[in-house]
Amino acid sequence: MPGHVSLEEVRKIAQLAKLSFSEEELTRFFQDISDIIAHFEKLNELDLEDVSPTSHISWSQPPMNPDEPVDWQGSDLVLKHAPCAAGRYFIVPKVVEKEEKLS
Amino acid sequence: MEGVYVTIGLEVHCQLLTQAKMFCRCSTDYIGKTPNTLVCPVCMGLPGALPVLNRKALELAIKTALALRCEILPEVVFHRKNYFYPDLPKGYQISQYDFPIGVRGVLEFALEGERRKVRIRRVHVEEDAGKLVHEGLGVERNVSGVDFNRAGIPLVEIVTEPDLHSPEEAKECLIMLRSIVRYLGVSDGNMEEGSLRCDANVSVSLSPDTQGAKVEIKNMNSFRSVFRALSYEVERQAALLREGKFPVQETRHWDEVRQVTVPSRGKEEAEDYRYFPDPDLLPFRIPQDMLEEIKATIPELPLQKKERFMREYELAEPEAHILVQDKDLAEFFEACVREFPAPRTVCNFVLTEVLKNLNAFNMTIRESKVTPGMLAELLRMVERKEIGISLAKGIFEEMFATGMSAREVMAKKGISFLTSERDLEKIVRQVIEENPQSVADYLGGKDKALHFLIGQVMKVTKGQANPEVVKNLLLRELTSGE
Amino acid sequence: MNLRDFRNFTIRDYQDLFAKGELVPRELLTIFLERIREVDSLLHAFLFVNEDRAFARAQKLEEEGRDRSVCPPLWGIPIAIKDNICTLGIPTTCASRILEGYIPPYNATVIERLEAAGAIILGKTNMDEFAMGSSTENSAYGPTRNPFDLERVPGGSSGGSAAALASLEAPLALGSDTGGSVRQPAAFCGIVGLRPTYGRVSRYGLVSFASSLDQIGPMARTVEDTITLFEIISGRDERDSTCAPYPPFSRAEIPQEEEVRKMIIGLPREYFSEGVDSRIVGTIEEVLKGLEKEGLTIREVSLPHTSYALEAYYIVAPSEASSNLARYDGVLYGLREGGEGTLQDMYFRTRTSGFGAEVKRRILLGTYSLSSGYYDAYYLKGMKVRTLVRQDFERAFQECHLLITPVSPVFPFFLGERTKNPYEMYLADVFTIPSAMAGIPALSLNCGYVDNLPVGLQIIAGPFQEGVLFGLALFLEQMLSLPLPLPEIGQQRRS
Ligand SMILES: [Mg+2]
Ligand SMILES: [Zn+2]
Repeated sequence: MPGHVSLEEVRKIAQLAKLSFSEEELTRFFQDISDIIAHFEKLNELDLEDVSPTSHISWSQPPMNPDEPVDWQGSDLVLKHAPCAAGRYFIVPKVVEKEEKLS
Repeated sequence: MEGVYVTIGLEVHCQLLTQAKMFCRCSTDYIGKTPNTLVCPVCMGLPGALPVLNRKALELAIKTALALRCEILPEVVFHRKNYFYPDLPKGYQISQYDFPIGVRGVLEFALEGERRKVRIRRVHVEEDAGKLVHEGLGVERNVSGVDFNRAGIPLVEIVTEPDLHSPEEAKECLIMLRSIVRYLGVSDGNMEEGSLRCDANVSVSLSPDTQGAKVEIKNMNSFRSVFRALSYEVERQAALLREGKFPVQETRHWDEVRQVTVPSRGKEEAEDYRYFPDPDLLPFRIPQDMLEEIKATIPELPLQKKERFMREYELAEPEAHILVQDKDLAEFFEACVREFPAPRTVCNFVLTEVLKNLNAFNMTIRESKVTPGMLAELLRMVERKEIGISLAKGIFEEMFATGMSAREVMAKKGISFLTSERDLEKIVRQVIEENPQSVADYLGGKDKALHFLIGQVMKVTKGQANPEVVKNLLLRELTSGE
Repeated sequence: MNLRDFRNFTIRDYQDLFAKGELVPRELLTIFLERIREVDSLLHAFLFVNEDRAFARAQKLEEEGRDRSVCPPLWGIPIAIKDNICTLGIPTTCASRILEGYIPPYNATVIERLEAAGAIILGKTNMDEFAMGSSTENSAYGPTRNPFDLERVPGGSSGGSAAALASLEAPLALGSDTGGSVRQPAAFCGIVGLRPTYGRVSRYGLVSFASSLDQIGPMARTVEDTITLFEIISGRDERDSTCAPYPPFSRAEIPQEEEVRKMIIGLPREYFSEGVDSRIVGTIEEVLKGLEKEGLTIREVSLPHTSYALEAYYIVAPSEASSNLARYDGVLYGLREGGEGTLQDMYFRTRTSGFGAEVKRRILLGTYSLSSGYYDAYYLKGMKVRTLVRQDFERAFQECHLLITPVSPVFPFFLGERTKNPYEMYLADVFTIPSAMAGIPALSLNCGYVDNLPVGLQIIAGPFQEGVLFGLALFLEQMLSLPLPLPEIGQQRRS
């Protein structure tokens, strides 16, 4: 229910955001977030039924790229400064899931 | 299967044929390239880098949607699909959500000559992810490597309604979809190389009134595996139902080695992708002139072409079906017919000799050196009986291998024009003169002697003459001498 | 030459000295570097001082010589850059541990433009981590202090840039403003800061906090220098889709003094309500009286959704941030922790140890607002309120040319004073958020001192009306003739 967030929800949100907390921290963040969300209640005073949302501030048609490739020379630098790279690959812990995640 | 009601919907991703990536200027020519060379701050998601849409990617997606007879939504809006995965450099994929490029389209295809229809739910454009590798230089056994060369290549995603009712239908529908994207030039639609990827939703029930659980099948890497995976899955779900059990709604993987579908290593809870409009990309209206320009570039599509071929050239459905699957082949056929207006003959030769040679060399018609004009010339020679059909086949093989014209092949092989009818007459007369005994034998009633004479002519012509023609000439000469 | 001589200098004054041969870039640079050495251990305005490269560049500029006919406007001028703007080869951390030691392989568009204009990158300034905060206390590398009172905050999140200017560690600076991060520290430090129209300055290379709100803004000691800097950094950029395809700002857009005198100034009554320090209201009212005396018309207007803008902002900005900060996962750059464990271990440990508390709070908040089942209740609602806030301004600008408001309801507060209650900290931006939500330009200008603490005045204009805005700012600056700040660092007593 809007306006109220539960500790369990915060726990779930933390999972989604890939953040871990001790129980003590979780309680503190839960408290902070509950306080802030309680203030959001104020927006219910407004009749927003027929208001269109502003997702962007836009003054004109955005530019588009031509379909012409351009080389970028900096990839060696990125690999060099990467937390872990080998043989031109960025290295991560073994990805066990076979699934092609893109869908 | 009797008493089994199958519902299948497809979700197809095609890599769009752009030169540059969807939101940056990196090249899309990634196959066989050194890992992480076709990258830049944008497609690696470096802090501060921002996306700018490639106009061509948008055009190709619109073209696809138009060809699938979609309603084009007037505004282009990109959303972020948020999830963590190492091949996703920004932690989100730029995709489309409630405003896809096109909605409510139709795809028509044929199954055993019969027209079928599947509704298209949506066509949208999104960026591809990078590639995870589990072996390769520097990639030890206990780690994975990530290559971002593919990250950011534009994809068009086509989602059908669950209007397909058998694995055969699903396969034919997918083949037609590939054919269409190839016709349009928007994608090369190669499943094996991953430029066309297909997931399917399958549900099975034992009654036409109930809807079974929706099971998503992934990891099908060829048309054959689509067919096999779906067949397996239909059978699996039907068997469960017959035992009084119910399939669970889940995602399963096609295991190509074991030829079975297996449940995906499940994430306990459903992903929450937290779609929201990408604030880095402003929504904008598709300019009307852009839409008109794209419309004008949409060619005749396979099904229309097939029906025209059947009408115009009086081809049978199966023949026309094969001819139009590849737009280049269909165009080759038509160009050839323009120069040699005997569609039946051209069709036969294309479907047999041309395809045989293409397959043998694993080539496409576009790559072949034989032009429609060259084939027309060859067929004209057959028609004029300058050469026999078996000789023509041999000559074509040579033309195909070398790119030489029929006449060039003949010259090179020393066939010259000996085998033309006039030259052949000379040879026939010469053979008759040189073999009086055989002539006498034949005239004395020994039919075998005629075969000997034919053999002699064939020997002189190095086997390049049409034996039927030789026989007729011999008979004419021998009887005229009476 | 010494630092005190520069107190009232503008860029033009430095250029005059260069032209006369009385100063060379290396000398000027040395004076600022010495100043940094002298006071920055107390202020901590800089996270990185680009000494070697800056010196090499100054030397190169000298060797190339100064061509008087086509001299680039910032030739030889050192500039401090907020640490969320990417600088090729120079560390860019966003004051976060997760980007500790990160060296961008490319320059932000504004950096390219500054260098083309002859500027010298002096260093990277402290900020609230990922620009999330209003006090520069959320820096992973320790807070910046207010040059007027070391016990107080310089404001935030561009607190480092503001403090560097007020203390004359740098003559020019760049900041970024998402909900007030240029204007509020400018007010707290008594300098000038502009939040441009959204899309007037390229964001390419600005590390994103909330993309639909972020704008890079010029910060300087005078309006004149703010204009100079704005002319250079503004204008279309093909690499930023949200950047408006218009030419750079030009001085020609600034109205003449006579025109300024004819202006109607709107006073939004919601900005002068309870909760604003009466001494701030008093100072601004004095200024308004002065303007009326000069012939300008002052008219009360209403922006009825002002008090809702803050809530909407704290839905929209964290939502975007939660997504923008997903890329810090330990794979490609920056910090990685737990790389020996599973992939999930790496994600959780990297992000948990790399982000500070306020960043985590906002990621959680934003993830919540966007999550399924809450999108309509929060994110969508936030975007709708944003529409109402925009419409408020559109209506107001039918009645007046510009708006004048306080920048902050309070004076610079003490370090630690507001860190315990996040929402109280959020209130510090209550007057800067609405214009940011509307995407319109606003400028913060010092309009007086109370107990040796500066008072910031905000001028808000319609979209692309920076010229009009500067017109009034120049007029005000001249009318008030306040001394430019050069506080004795470390000499103040705690009041
Ligand atoms: Mg997809
Ligand atoms: Zn790229």
